Amino acid sequence: MPNPTALTPYPVTITKIVDETSDVKTFTVVFDDPEIMENFGNKPGQVCMLSVFGEGESTISITSSPTRGKFLEFTVKRVGRLTEVLHQMEVGQKFGVRGPYGNWFPYEIMKGKDLFFVGGGFALAPIRSLIDYALSDQYRKDYGRVEILYGSRSYDDLCFKSDLFERWPSLSNTAIYTTVDRGGDNWKGRVGHVPGYVEEVAPSPENKFAIIAGPPIMIKFALPVMEKLGFKDEQIITTLEMRMKCCLGKCGRCNIGSKFVCVDGPVFSRAQLKGMPQEY
Amino acid sequence: MEARIVNKGQLPELLDKLAKDCDLIAPVKEETTTLFRKISGAKDAFLEYNNSDISPKGCFLPQNEKTFSYTYTGDSLEIVKPEGAKKTVLFGTRPCDIKAITTLDPVFEGVKFGDEYYSSKRENTVIIGLSCSKVLSTCFCYAFGGGPCDGTGSDLLFTEIGDKYYVEINTDKGKALVDTYSQIFSSQGADQLAKGKEELAQKLSGEFIRKVDLTGVKEVLDGNFELPYWDGDNYKKCIGCGTCTYVCPTCHCFDIFDYTTGDFTGDRIRCWDSCMYPEYTLMAGGHNPRPTRKERVRNRFMHKLKYHLDRYDMVGCVGCGRCVKKCPVNIDITKIINDLKEVAQNA
Repeated sequence: MPNPTALTPYPVTITKIVDETSDVKTFTVVFDDPEIMENFGNKPGQVCMLSVFGEGESTISITSSPTRGKFLEFTVKRVGRLTEVLHQMEVGQKFGVRGPYGNWFPYEIMKGKDLFFVGGGFALAPIRSLIDYALSDQYRKDYGRVEILYGSRSYDDLCFKSDLFERWPSLSNTAIYTTVDRGGDNWKGRVGHVPGYVEEVAPSPENKFAIIAGPPIMIKFALPVMEKLGFKDEQIITTLEMRMKCCLGKCGRCNIGSKFVCVDGPVFSRAQLKGMPQEY
Repeated sequence: MEARIVNKGQLPELLDKLAKDCDLIAPVKEETTTLFRKISGAKDAFLEYNNSDISPKGCFLPQNEKTFSYTYTGDSLEIVKPEGAKKTVLFGTRPCDIKAITTLDPVFEGVKFGDEYYSSKRENTVIIGLSCSKVLSTCFCYAFGGGPCDGTGSDLLFTEIGDKYYVEINTDKGKALVDTYSQIFSSQGADQLAKGKEELAQKLSGEFIRKVDLTGVKEVLDGNFELPYWDGDNYKKCIGCGTCTYVCPTCHCFDIFDYTTGDFTGDRIRCWDSCMYPEYTLMAGGHNPRPTRKERVRNRFMHKLKYHLDRYDMVGCVGCGRCVKKCPVNIDITKIINDLKEVAQNA
């Protein structure tokens, strides 16, 4: 395990870049030190601090599941200074990574249960690690049916298209529902918002966990739907985003009340969130 | 507890020796500001201060600190960490500031994630406290269980009594220092001075002007995030200057950024940050969880009076009074504590 008391990142080399959308890329990276790669020990839902030298650091969730191999994937939206520079990088170039940080999806507690994922836009990235964990050859038998309901503004804005349309549907006992806000010539599927689609698909809360991640507006309208369907607060799991600098519970800014999202989160159940100030 | 005596006339000799043998950090006066700096000898020290304008927290969490240097050539990426801390003596720390250091300890020396930059300095530093000789109008350390002559957290505590310092040895680290300079620390007559120290502590404890009572404050803040009190004057007055956080000895928030010294070379720096600034929580995508001064002011006082307690079982304030003295619009934590106490009583 990397030194957890230092703020020094470990060099990684980019081995693959996938253009997900016009402003989202997925970077596959490998640590230059094989020992670090071997012992990194990330769990689904955890995050890393990415160092782009000259720009500083940014907290990015690990979108790959540790079951997929000895590499890390980070799906990054071009939104600020650091991500702008990161988007200009090419295969073979290097940046720094430290982590893994934060808690993880309660994948042990979820064993034996069905999983219903609800994702909006770019926010499929943080829950994809759990999807792939539950769908891995190694652990597939531990989980029931895996359903993924995912929407974005348009077809062009859908991330992980090869997962959505090829890889995940080909696996046993899965269902993928996709929707876009605005149709177009390249889209023959459903048009409409995510919360309405959840209502239409109407997953039963029986023996199930719902994992939700998306823009606040989607979450705001999806939660009442889940509640109507009978999902209890303990069955609804989400992951939060906050500005972070250290990711070690020291720099202060990611607190929600007495909790630090970087060490006590980013994964929270709706029941936990209800006991915290609405300041996120 | 063991104790020694140092004649005031011998203090310069001690400071000169310490400055020669290790890094000596002591209060100095720069123009009108009293702060802590590395000094080269007794002549630089300014010990006639009541409380420094800037706390000594920078000894362990410097205002700017290099965490590493980097060189990226395209093929290789080299990261070089700075050397660990040197042997240091922090001399002349007031009891409230010593307590503040013990308040920072659980943040940086946590079970899960330590901080080698902080710990390296902490382990290599001997803290020599200096009891107060006067209580200021802004002081309220007693409200948190502290006191003008309370040496808790120090390795040695010096208390000025007449022409002598009564020196209490609180730790093995302190004992080692006393043994190294045994020709200056005399054990003769120490027992008699113990009484003098008790009398001074007793006398000073009666001199606090500010009445601060925390009864019921934590309880009223627990589960009362939307307390209407926070809609009051405090945030309306706040100009968001951040002074309170910089002078606060327990505020530990920091930023991390790169200082480039060449195309792909530079230093990663961590520096003090302030929760009073909107950029502190502003995310690249434009969302800000604490968008107005109301949320930011509430967060600061909630952190001091509730969050730090929840997390570390210690109040995040030590009653040094700096924020009370330095706030340009007179936002006063003692008034807030007393107001909250009133809210609790009327609830």
